[in-house]
Amino acid sequence: MDDLLARAATGDQAAFSDLVRAHQGMVFGLAYNYLRDRALAEELAQDVFLSLYRHLASIESPAHLKFWLRKVTSHRCIDVARRQRVRVEQFSDEMPEPASPFRQPDPMLSATLRRLVATLPDGPRMVVTLRYQEDLEPSEIATILDMPVNTVKSHLRRSIQILREKVTRYLGEEVEV
Amino acid sequence: MSRLDEELKIALARHEPPEDFAERIAARIALGQATREKESEHWWRPILRFLNPGMPLQRLFEAPRARWAVIGVVACLVLATFGGYRYREYQKELAQAEIAKAQVMYALQIASTKLNTAQRKALGVVSQSSHSN
Repeated sequence: MDDLLARAATGDQAAFSDLVRAHQGMVFGLAYNYLRDRALAEELAQDVFLSLYRHLASIESPAHLKFWLRKVTSHRCIDVARRQRVRVEQFSDEMPEPASPFRQPDPMLSATLRRLVATLPDGPRMVVTLRYQEDLEPSEIATILDMPVNTVKSHLRRSIQILREKVTRYLGEEVEV
Repeated sequence: MSRLDEELKIALARHEPPEDFAERIAARIALGQATREKESEHWWRPILRFLNPGMPLQRLFEAPRARWAVIGVVACLVLATFGGYRYREYQKELAQAEIAKAQVMYALQIASTKLNTAQRKALGVVSQSSHSN
């Protein structure tokens, strides 16, 4: 990866394309999980990589590259959401209850959770996305989002609490959480 | 790890973009470079292309020193042409002024001769009348 980064920094287009392929799942995934809009997520991810292309000289290592991509993607996602007020899939309390209270199969639960995460406020939503998509520790999330660690922890705690309540109400039974 | 944590990890797993994602970025980079090159093209190139479609002069213009030398020579030629034209105009005006001056002198000479003749005649008439008295 070091070699790939070095070659890309010298203007090797093929090396840069390989870098994109190596990290596109992370960047596009963050954007898609946050914005819940494929077209918007793809446009944002492309912009992030174009920005990376312009800033390649300042990237010092593969770890720095990962950090840079996560940071730029997160901040851009929050900016886009604030500008466009993206709430693609509203999942309000007024949503009808399911007909029967039996436990949904997992794909349904995943879809429900994604929609519930989309209802979280901008900051906490990104904290939850980074925590569960990228499996990051609160201290790492705090560095990426320029936020105090305690704020990250409280966002996480509060978000999990909200998600637990809503998912329980939606599924009609207590979910072991 | 709680069940909700596990479910959230599944729900928020990474997603892959369309297959040609990297190619599209490469195309946007290439397009951006082409646009930047077009934007940074020197102002004189389109003029030169228009004046010099075969482009032999263009190669001369590529080297900065040669470019300034050519610009200097062209500027000198323009100045010399304009200066020569102005000098010829000045000479023409000077010649016309000389002719006008000569004509005025000639007219004054004629006027002076006629005045002298008239004066002489007038003096002759006066002296004749005084003798007859």
